[in-house]
Amino acid sequence: MKKHANGSGRLPDRQLKSVSYAKWGYFFIIPFFVVYICFTLVPQFLTIYNSFFENYRDGLNEIGPNYVGLDNYETLFTADSSGTIRILKYTSNTMVMWFIGALPQFVIAMLLAIFFTSARLNIKGQGFFKTVIYMPNLIMAAAFSMLFFTLFSRVGPIQALLVEKGWIDASFDFFSHRITVRGMIAMMNFLMWFGNTTIVLMAGIMGIDQSLFESATLDGANAWQVFFRVTLPLLMPIFVYCLITAMIGGIQMFDVPQVLTKGNGAPNETTRTLVMYLNGYLANKNYGMAGAISVIIFIVTGALGGVVYRMLSAQYKDSSRQRRQRKGDVI
Amino acid sequence: MISDNTKGKVKLTVLRIIVYAILAFLVFLCLFFFYLMIVNSSRSNAQLASGFTLLPKENFFTNLKNAWNDASINIPRGMLNSLIIALATAVLTTYFSALTAYGIHAYDFKGKRLVFTFIMAVMMIPAQVSALGFVQMMNELDLTNNYIPLIIPGIAAPVVFFYMKQYMESVLPLDLIAAARIDGSGEFHTFNFIVLPLLKPAIAVQMIFSFVSSWNNYFIPALLLDKAELKTVPIMIAQLRSADYSKFDMGKVYMFILLAILPVLITYILLSKSIIKGVTAGSVKG
Amino acid sequence: MKKVFAILLAALMLLSVVGCAEKTPSTPAATKAPDKPAEQGKVFNIYAWNEEFKGFFEKYYTIPEGVTVNWIINPSDNGVYQQKLDEALRNQDKASADEKIDLFLAEADYIGKYVNSNYTMDVTSFGFQNAPTQYEYTIKAASDDNGVCKGVSFQCCPAAVIYRKSIAMDILGTDDPVEVQAAMDNWEKFDALAAKAKEKGYYMTASFAETFRAFSNNCTKPWVDADNNLQFDPQITAWMDQTENYIKNGYTLTAGIWDTEKTNEMFKAGKTFCFFGPAWYYNFCMNNAMDPENGCVGDWRIVKGPQAYFWGGTWLLAATGSDNTDMLKEIFETFTVNEDVCSKLVSEQNQFPNNTKVVEKFAQDSSYGNTAILDGQNDIAIFAELAKDIKWENHTNYDQLLNEGLQNKLQEFYNGSVDKETAMKNFYNYVKETYANINVPEA
Repeated sequence: MKKHANGSGRLPDRQLKSVSYAKWGYFFIIPFFVVYICFTLVPQFLTIYNSFFENYRDGLNEIGPNYVGLDNYETLFTADSSGTIRILKYTSNTMVMWFIGALPQFVIAMLLAIFFTSARLNIKGQGFFKTVIYMPNLIMAAAFSMLFFTLFSRVGPIQALLVEKGWIDASFDFFSHRITVRGMIAMMNFLMWFGNTTIVLMAGIMGIDQSLFESATLDGANAWQVFFRVTLPLLMPIFVYCLITAMIGGIQMFDVPQVLTKGNGAPNETTRTLVMYLNGYLANKNYGMAGAISVIIFIVTGALGGVVYRMLSAQYKDSSRQRRQRKGDVI
Repeated sequence: MISDNTKGKVKLTVLRIIVYAILAFLVFLCLFFFYLMIVNSSRSNAQLASGFTLLPKENFFTNLKNAWNDASINIPRGMLNSLIIALATAVLTTYFSALTAYGIHAYDFKGKRLVFTFIMAVMMIPAQVSALGFVQMMNELDLTNNYIPLIIPGIAAPVVFFYMKQYMESVLPLDLIAAARIDGSGEFHTFNFIVLPLLKPAIAVQMIFSFVSSWNNYFIPALLLDKAELKTVPIMIAQLRSADYSKFDMGKVYMFILLAILPVLITYILLSKSIIKGVTAGSVKG
Repeated sequence: MKKVFAILLAALMLLSVVGCAEKTPSTPAATKAPDKPAEQGKVFNIYAWNEEFKGFFEKYYTIPEGVTVNWIINPSDNGVYQQKLDEALRNQDKASADEKIDLFLAEADYIGKYVNSNYTMDVTSFGFQNAPTQYEYTIKAASDDNGVCKGVSFQCCPAAVIYRKSIAMDILGTDDPVEVQAAMDNWEKFDALAAKAKEKGYYMTASFAETFRAFSNNCTKPWVDADNNLQFDPQITAWMDQTENYIKNGYTLTAGIWDTEKTNEMFKAGKTFCFFGPAWYYNFCMNNAMDPENGCVGDWRIVKGPQAYFWGGTWLLAATGSDNTDMLKEIFETFTVNEDVCSKLVSEQNQFPNNTKVVEKFAQDSSYGNTAILDGQNDIAIFAELAKDIKWENHTNYDQLLNEGLQNKLQEFYNGSVDKETAMKNFYNYVKETYANINVPEA
C-alpha cells in the first residue's frame, strides 16, 4: 500500500475520499497557492530577473534597465581600493555577530534545559523563569534596539552609571568601538533567543524515553555520562535543527543593527549586515545590485533551508509512523 | 552510608544555589533594560540628562500625555494601524493555514505529495530575498501605501501550515470527517464547523504568534508605507533615530518605546502559559 | 499526473512573470495633466520631511472650506524623504486627482534636482508673481537652468554664531556682541579663542560638524564636476583640517550635529561657548536652552562670526499635476508677500522671513528684540546684513547625501574608531553605493 502522510489507514474512508472528494483537496489549497505565487514566487523570479540588469536612479531619472548579464555579480565580488570585497565583509560581520550571540544562547539554553528537566534538582518556580526568559523574544526588535541606543548612548543612563562607578572613562563611547557595538547587537540577539531555545530543547529532553535514563543510571553511569552518552546523542537532531534555523535567522539580521547604528553599520562598517547592505540598494532603487545581493542571500538561506527540510521530513515520517502505531491517540 | 548521603545532599544544595544564582542573573538581564525603560519613561528631559537612577520619578503621565499627543509621531494612530494589520494577518494566516493543512490532511488528490514537499521546501526562505520583486510589483500594481501587501501574503504561511498539519495529525481522526459526510455536512461546512473548533488551541497559539510577528515587522512595511496616517509602530520607532526628531525630549522617546512594546507585553503576561506551550508544539516534537 | 501539475505550476509562474515583466519598465506617461483644471481639487497633498512648516501653515494659512490637507512626512536622514518623494512624483501621472502631490518641500541641498525636472511647474502658470521683496537667492534656487521659477521659500536663512553670554564673560571678560565679534571675525581668531576657551574648561563648539555649514556653503566648486567626478572644495578640506585639530585639542565634541549629546550642551550646565545656526535654529534645535527647569534663556547673544554663510531653507515647490493651483498661489503669497504673516513669523516665531520689507522694518525698529532666547537683542538686524551677501552657486543634486555621508564617515575618524584613510575609503564606498553614476577617486 502506498504510504500516506495522513493518519488513518482504514480502507472504507479511503474509498470514500478518493472516489468523490479528491477535488476538494485542490479547492482547499488553492488560496494558499494563489497567494504564494502572487506575493512570493513571482516577486522571487522578478528579483532574480532584476539581478541581470543595470537599473538605478540618477536623481529623478531611471537609468536602464539594460541587460548586463552577470556584471552586477562581478561588481559585488570586486574588491575596492583597499582590497576588501564588501559583500564578504558584510557576510562575515553578520556571521560573527550571530555567532557571539548564538554561542551563549545555545550553551545557556542547554544548561537551563538540563536544570529544568532534572528531577534531582527539582527547580521551583519554573513557570516564572520560563515566562521571564522567553519574554524578550516577543519584543519588537526595532524598539529593543532603540532602547539599547538610548540606554547606552553618550548621554544615556548606563554610561552615566559606569562613569560614576569609575569603570569607564567619561570619554568612552559605546558606539565607537567594534567590540561594544557588536557586543550590544549580540547581547540583544542572545536575550531575544535564549529563552526560546531553552524551551525547545527542554521539550526535546522531555521527549526522550525516561526508561533510557533509568537503565543508564542502573548500569552505573554518572550524571555526566548520562548527559554525554544518552541525552546529547538523542537530543542532537533537535539541537541541530535549532542551530540551523537560528543561523537562517542570523543571516536575516537587520532591525537591530539598522536601528542601533542608524543604518551606518558603525564603526567602520563592522556591524553592517548583509540585509542592511541589501536595504541600502533597495532604498536607493538600485534594482540591479539589490537583485544580485538578494540572489546571494537566497542561495545561502536556501542551502541551509535544505538541511532543515531534510531533517524535518525525516522526523515527520518518523512521527507519522509512530502515530499510525498509536491509533486514536489524542494529545 | 549516612555520610555519603549527607555529602550528596550538601552537593545538591550547593548545586541548587549555583543554579538559582544563574537563573537570577538571567532574570536580571531579561528585566533590567525594560525596568530602566519604565523608570526613564517617568523622568523629564532635564532629569534624564542628569544621569542614572533606579527610582521612578513623577513625570510618567506628563510623558505619556506628550507622547500620546505628539504631532509628528502619531503613536495612537500607529498603534491602531499596527493593530488592524496584525489582527487581520493573524486571522487570515491561521484560517488559511488550517484550510490548506486540512486540504492536504483530509483528501487524497494527485500531486498531494508534491504540494506538501514544495511547502516544506520553501518554509525557510526569508521574505527579504524576494523583497525587491515584491516592492517593484506593489509599485506597479499601485499597492504602496496600502495594507493589502502587508496582510494578504499572510494567507500563504508555510510555517503555520506545517504546525497546523502536525496538529491535525494528532487531533483529527478521519473517521470524524466521514461521519460528518454521512450526516450530510458539506465539505466547507465540515471544515468550518466541525474541524475548526477542534483546532482551537492550535489556532489560538498561532494567532498570537502571527499577531506578534506582524506587530513587530519592520523591513517590508518600511519599504511600502510613507503616508503618516498609514505608518505602523516599528516605522515610527525607527524614525526616532533620525535627525529631525532629535529635538524630542528623551522622556518622550522612552515613552514611545514603552508604548510600542506594551500591547505585546500585556498579551504575553496574560497568556504566557499557552504561548510557551505553543513554542514547543510548533517546532520539533521529540 | 504529478508532472502535469508541475508543468502547470511552472507555466503559471512563467505567465505571471511575463505579465509583470511587460509592465515593469515604467516611464512617466507622456500625457500631462491639463495645466489649468477648471475645477479645484478637494484634497491637498503636501510632502515634507518634518513638522516645521506644518506648524506655520496651520497657524497662518486659512484652508479653503471643504479642502482636506494631507501631510506626508518622512525623515530626510539617509535620503528617505527624497526616495519616497521621488517615487510618488514618478507615479504622479497615474495617481488619481486626490492622490496627486500638490505641494512639496525641498531643501537647499537637493532642490536643483526637482526644479530642473518636469515634476515641478512654473509658478506663473497659476498666476503667482515673484515680488521684489523676496531675496534673490531664494528665487534663483527655485528656478531651473532657464530661469523658470517653480516655487518659493518661506524663509531666508543667513546663519550666524549664537554664543553663551556667561561663558563669553568668563573667557573674554566681556559679553558685548561687538567685542565678541571682534574676537572671532576670522578663522584664525576663532581657533585662538577655542584654545582660550579650552584653558577655561569650555568647549568652543559641541559637535565636530558644528562649523561644517560655515565652510561648505562658501564652496567655490560643486561636489561633482562636469564629468561626474567627485571633488573636494578647499572649503571642505579646510573644515576637515579645522575639525581634526579641534578634536585633537579637545575644543569640540565627537557628537553629531543633531545628537542629544550636543543639544544637552545647551542646558544651563552646558560647557559650550558657540553654536552655529540661522533663525530657524532657535525653535528647531534649542529646546533644551528654553527648558523651564534647566535651560538658560537670555544667556544667549548672536554675532556674525568668522565667516558669513547660510544654512538650509525650506522651499515650497508646485508639483506638476496639482489640481489645487488656486491654493498654491494663495499659499505662496501668504508666506512671501503677505506682510502681516511675515511680520508674525518674526514676532511670534522668531523666524527670518523671505520679505525684505518686513525684515527692514524689524531691523530698523529699535524697540524690537528677540526675547525668546536672546534677551532682547535685535537678531533680525544682524541677519539682515548677512542675508545681503548670500549667493546661490555651486550646488548639485547630490549635496544632502554627500554632506551627510562625509560627516557620518568622518565622525568615525574623529571618535577614534578608524584612521582618516579608512574613513575616506568608507566615504567613497558610500558615494558609489548611493550614486552609482558618480566617479570616486580610486574605487
